[in-house]
Amino acid sequence: MSPLKITTGYAATGPVLKVLGELDYDNAPELSELVPTIPLRPGQCLVLDLGGMVFCDSSGLSALIAAHRHTQAARADIALAAVPAHTLRILRIVGLDQIFPIHPDTASATAP
Amino acid sequence: MMCRTGQQQEPHEADEAESSRGAFAALLEDSAEELYENAPCGYLSTLMDGTIAKINATLLGWLGLDREAVVGRMRFTDLLTVGGRLYHETHFAPMLQMQGEISGIALEIKQSGGGRIPVLVSSSVKHGSTGEPLLIRTTVFDARQRRAYEEELLRGRKAAEEARRQSEADRARLQDALAVLQQSLLPDILPVLPGVETAASYHTASPDRLGGDFYDVFPLDGKRFGFFLGDVCGKGPQAAAVTSLTRYTLRTAALHDPDPVTALTTLNKVLHERYAAGSGDPRYCTVVFGTLEPDPDTGQVAVRIASGGHPPAIVTRADGTADFLPTPGGLLVGVLPSAQFTAATTTLAPGDTLLLYTDGITEARTGPDRTSLYGDQALLSFASDHAGKPASALIEALTALLQRFGDGLDDDTALLALGAPTAGHRTRSSR
Repeated sequence: MSPLKITTGYAATGPVLKVLGELDYDNAPELSELVPTIPLRPGQCLVLDLGGMVFCDSSGLSALIAAHRHTQAARADIALAAVPAHTLRILRIVGLDQIFPIHPDTASATAP
Repeated sequence: MMCRTGQQQEPHEADEAESSRGAFAALLEDSAEELYENAPCGYLSTLMDGTIAKINATLLGWLGLDREAVVGRMRFTDLLTVGGRLYHETHFAPMLQMQGEISGIALEIKQSGGGRIPVLVSSSVKHGSTGEPLLIRTTVFDARQRRAYEEELLRGRKAAEEARRQSEADRARLQDALAVLQQSLLPDILPVLPGVETAASYHTASPDRLGGDFYDVFPLDGKRFGFFLGDVCGKGPQAAAVTSLTRYTLRTAALHDPDPVTALTTLNKVLHERYAAGSGDPRYCTVVFGTLEPDPDTGQVAVRIASGGHPPAIVTRADGTADFLPTPGGLLVGVLPSAQFTAATTTLAPGDTLLLYTDGITEARTGPDRTSLYGDQALLSFASDHAGKPASALIEALTALLQRFGDGLDDDTALLALGAPTAGHRTRSSR
């Protein structure tokens, strides 16, 4: 099992969180608890780079939805980058691809 | 000189040692009879027939009897309670006769005042020079303290057993309550629908946790029936509460307006209002909701469904094929204040079956890591292998498949099959 690791960076568009490892029942709350502590100004975009995420279950989806809700409340945007194929398939099934802008990588997600 | 004292004692010191040794010896000599009489245990000697020949003052004191009333007049068994006498005759005396000695037997002796004292009794037979038995020597220990201690232990054990019984009863009550709640989440039996064969199965990954999957089938009006199957995010009591809210909201919504998209839109509003708006505990579900309208003349069943974020239903056909019934773009229910849901329709001809499932089956692990999953294509191909069979046969085959996954099944799985029976099959339901 690879535990969850989240690194925080900043781009011109706003904060960028890189999610590495497994976003599952045990680890997903880490992301949910971290997001509200990230400074986010109205109009900025929080980018979640999922390129290093090896697993995501329904708890992981819940964490993504919680992040979406948080950015909405902050009048900011959210975007996903480098979503792994398996997770992308699930996002499509549950319709979340309609509420999350999805980018191939962080560079395009943070392009001004 | 430091060593002188040790080498040779002074005359007066030697005298002192001498007199102290004498006093010690005198004490010992004096105590032989004294010890017998007043020892901290009872002594008695009896003839081989049990007649008491000698008894010490300690034991007489416990009994509250005079020596004259006992010696030569009473037998050892006369000192015992009825129970003790019985035990003496059946066990004590025979053992003593066989082994020549017996020790630590618990008996009770009677006091003249009517009381009784628990005692521990040891006896041995004294033999003559030619080996013939002469008399029996017996010691009697006061076991009152010990008995009190044993009773204390027994009381403690009884209390512990009572506590254990209580906690087991509590546990059983809790399990009963859970079972009742679980039953309120799923229909006990599926209703019998004219012109539709129904079959369902619920497979729990962990038996002691309330599951988050649900399904239901129910009549709408004279000719139509509603059905749904879904999956609430999470598990346990919180998920069960969402499941319950979802089930009864969908049933009520469908009675007002059976249109599948309308029913899901109502559910979305209810869930979002209850759990998302301002709550720190967002809850949502994926669900397929639909209606069935059997045509008694043709044996066909018209199906209308809508999906909110749920994996697509599968339709198996009488000709041995199977396909997804796509409902793309439907969003998880309860995430957004207003959400889009996608409708689809199909017609089941006799021998066709609509299969609804939760992702417990498609996400079942088939390899060592968490990314080798059974998958939707495998499920479709499995369903096509069983196409043309009745709904109950399809559910049976899928249930066997789930059992083969074993530990690979991480999540609960609900299955619901709705079929248009062939002319040979009468309407029936099974679960």
